[in-house]
Amino acid sequence: MEALNYFATSWTSLDLLALTALGTFLGVYIGAIPGLSVTMAVSILISFTFSWDVNNALCLMVGIFMGGVYGGSRTAILLNIPGAPSAIATALDGYPMALKGEAGEAIGLSTVMSVIGGFVGIIVLALAAPVVSEFALKFQPRDYLMLGILGIMLVGSLSGNNLTKGVFAGAFGMLIGTVGLDPLTAEERFTFGVVELWNGINPIAVMIGLFGVSEALTQLHYMNKAAIKQKIDRIIPRWADVKKYLPLSLQTSSIGVIVGALPGTGGDIAALLAYDHAKRVTKNPEVPFGQGAKEGLIAPEAANNAAVGGAYIPMLTLGIPGDAVTAVFLGALFIHGLNPGPLLLTENPQMFWFTVGNLALANIFVLIFGLTGIKLFSKIVECPKGILIPLILLLSVVGAYAINNSIADIWWMLGFGVIGYFMKQYDYQVGPVILGVILSRLMDENWRRSIISERESLPDFFINLLSSPLSLVLFISILLIFISQTPIWARAKAMVFK
Amino acid sequence: MGVVMNKRLICALAALSIIAAPAFAEFPKKDIQGVIQWGAGGSTDTVMRSVTPHAEKELGVDIVMTNRTGGVGAIATKFVYAKKADGYTLLMGAENPQMYKTLGLANLDYGDFTPINILARGIPIFVANNDAPFNNMKEFTEYAKANPGMVKVGSTGPGGLTSIVLAMLDSQVKLDLTNIPYNGDGPALTALQSGALDVMPAVLGAAIEHVKAGRMKVIGLVDVKTNDLLPGVSPITEDFPGFSSFLPWGPFFGVFVKNDTPKAAVDKLVAAYHTAAQNPDFIDLMNKRGFSIMNVAGPEAEKFLNTYRSVSSWIVHDAGFSKKSPEEFGIPRP
Repeated sequence: MEALNYFATSWTSLDLLALTALGTFLGVYIGAIPGLSVTMAVSILISFTFSWDVNNALCLMVGIFMGGVYGGSRTAILLNIPGAPSAIATALDGYPMALKGEAGEAIGLSTVMSVIGGFVGIIVLALAAPVVSEFALKFQPRDYLMLGILGIMLVGSLSGNNLTKGVFAGAFGMLIGTVGLDPLTAEERFTFGVVELWNGINPIAVMIGLFGVSEALTQLHYMNKAAIKQKIDRIIPRWADVKKYLPLSLQTSSIGVIVGALPGTGGDIAALLAYDHAKRVTKNPEVPFGQGAKEGLIAPEAANNAAVGGAYIPMLTLGIPGDAVTAVFLGALFIHGLNPGPLLLTENPQMFWFTVGNLALANIFVLIFGLTGIKLFSKIVECPKGILIPLILLLSVVGAYAINNSIADIWWMLGFGVIGYFMKQYDYQVGPVILGVILSRLMDENWRRSIISERESLPDFFINLLSSPLSLVLFISILLIFISQTPIWARAKAMVFK
Repeated sequence: MGVVMNKRLICALAALSIIAAPAFAEFPKKDIQGVIQWGAGGSTDTVMRSVTPHAEKELGVDIVMTNRTGGVGAIATKFVYAKKADGYTLLMGAENPQMYKTLGLANLDYGDFTPINILARGIPIFVANNDAPFNNMKEFTEYAKANPGMVKVGSTGPGGLTSIVLAMLDSQVKLDLTNIPYNGDGPALTALQSGALDVMPAVLGAAIEHVKAGRMKVIGLVDVKTNDLLPGVSPITEDFPGFSSFLPWGPFFGVFVKNDTPKAAVDKLVAAYHTAAQNPDFIDLMNKRGFSIMNVAGPEAEKFLNTYRSVSSWIVHDAGFSKKSPEEFGIPRP
């Protein structure tokens, strides 16, 4: 009963309700602008809300988190510029839908599925947080390595019709990811003595360049192509559609919760793995993947919003952040005099249920703010090129600068924009590049950590891999996915089912 | 005519008084910029964002804080150094710059800055996985000797707290440990709970909540005296008296301005942060996180900074992972 009381705190107070709504509204727009990240917004709010009551401050921040994760899909669908790395997979099928004049439908569907994903995350947080966090803690460096390998196999899905070019692009991305101080030994790699390169090339700058600027340049190239007329009669998705895709969105939401709860991975990897999952389980999509398949839009959107609840799981139960944003939340709780840690649940049980309730409330506001204003937004794509292209470039520059208040990031972003343009001209997909950038560090670090802890013995590495149930499951799924894509499998299947 | 002259004279005088009349008599005249060396949500960030609002009240202007991460804090340090020495740009940092010269990371350290306030110091401890077959430093070193290479120790890269504390231990007893690097003590302490690591030297504040909840155990306290937060844990100097030549030592948080900032501005900032660091909320926060409040400026702060630099630079040099000898920079042996 008490729990219900705490749960409803933010629902029954007008102040908290309004702050959550305001946060969610701002979040949707902050999330939509590439470079303006939820992490940044929340950390600025820490000093801004310093003197506030802790509940008020949290409501505003939770709203921004929930709205921001959703908002990243907006620009991904409309302009092919993901607002955040977790919306990269959304652009793959969302933008082709917009090109066909279905932007309104795409946003409507992604909103509903985001909200469903969000609720799955919240429900798991509310009912199974301790269990999930103990499970997430079981992941060893080798398991993270295998998640990375699972992710990198997505190159196959992202390569378009030429795998060789896709592998090349992916390898290029991994190379970019290695620039900077070696995460393990702090030796400089490809930095040429430049201090600004110590932290590596920011993946977000690469992403904005490859998607945003290259899109603007490509549009300049095809200046005479008329803008696509958007059908905006149907915004709220058909009930039949929601029902049809519900199983898929529940599956990918579960992926989102687990990957979000892992302290070493966040919504970006969750969304990519979800996209891959959708591609494998959907036997006969109405539209092929990459050309506007609704499944390809739903999967990452459900997963990245489910990852929000997931990220809160280790944070609220163990004081371990599940991603960058929850790390900032931990700082906020400290500043407000709470002691987030494994004892939070027993010392301040109200905090847990308050957060669960507040997340649920913010998720409802996502639905409201997501479904309103779509008509206006869809018009963006219909804008004359003379307005649209400068707008994209402006957004890209502002976004790149905002990542770290650094001019260097703007140059990187522009450079990758030009590279992206030529890649598109020569039929190379840009998706694998960003995949390589995101995953190279995860794989690099965890491969080396796991081999160091085996005293550099490969046999020991495999013995431990095969004797741990978790590692074994991951390993077998990698093998199965790999083999199922080879001709041997097709032949074997043909023989069995003859 | 005379009247006109007079007016001109008055105007000129007034203008002069604005320019010359020590602009700093009324420091600060505009908002101040605070540059934080580490990322949002980290301990430096948390400390700075919780003390600064109290200092703003004293100064009557806003202190706008931004995180400029990268190069173990060197990006922010260089950024502030490139600004005018007028007191309007503050460097909010941790201990790292004191090692830049020896590690070959930069030609700057806190010797190029004036301390406004060294707010607090962290206390290093050794924590271990609950299942580890040892409960104190003595048992740990004996176990590690008997099982060379079998104990997995987390570290946070060269020059980090763990590397220095391990180098201190190495100067007392030679052990064959397997070092596994993580990006910061947060991820490493998570790995300790997952069993990927056996032992981790960390700052008390980062581990205390996990210790209280019984998710890991403390096996050593790297200080000269016992700590109220860790009842029953004896200081490391009892088992290894040689440690006392390095202690007390610990990572710290401080606010700095570039050298040659006008004295009036420095005094004003020192006074503001001195009052801010006495705020009960801030003290409570620091105590809970296991940091000991220092709240010092002037010669006292400089002495602490120099000692820190000497101890850390030489221990790292003697352990063999410095790029340059501390001697080159005239850093005396402790």
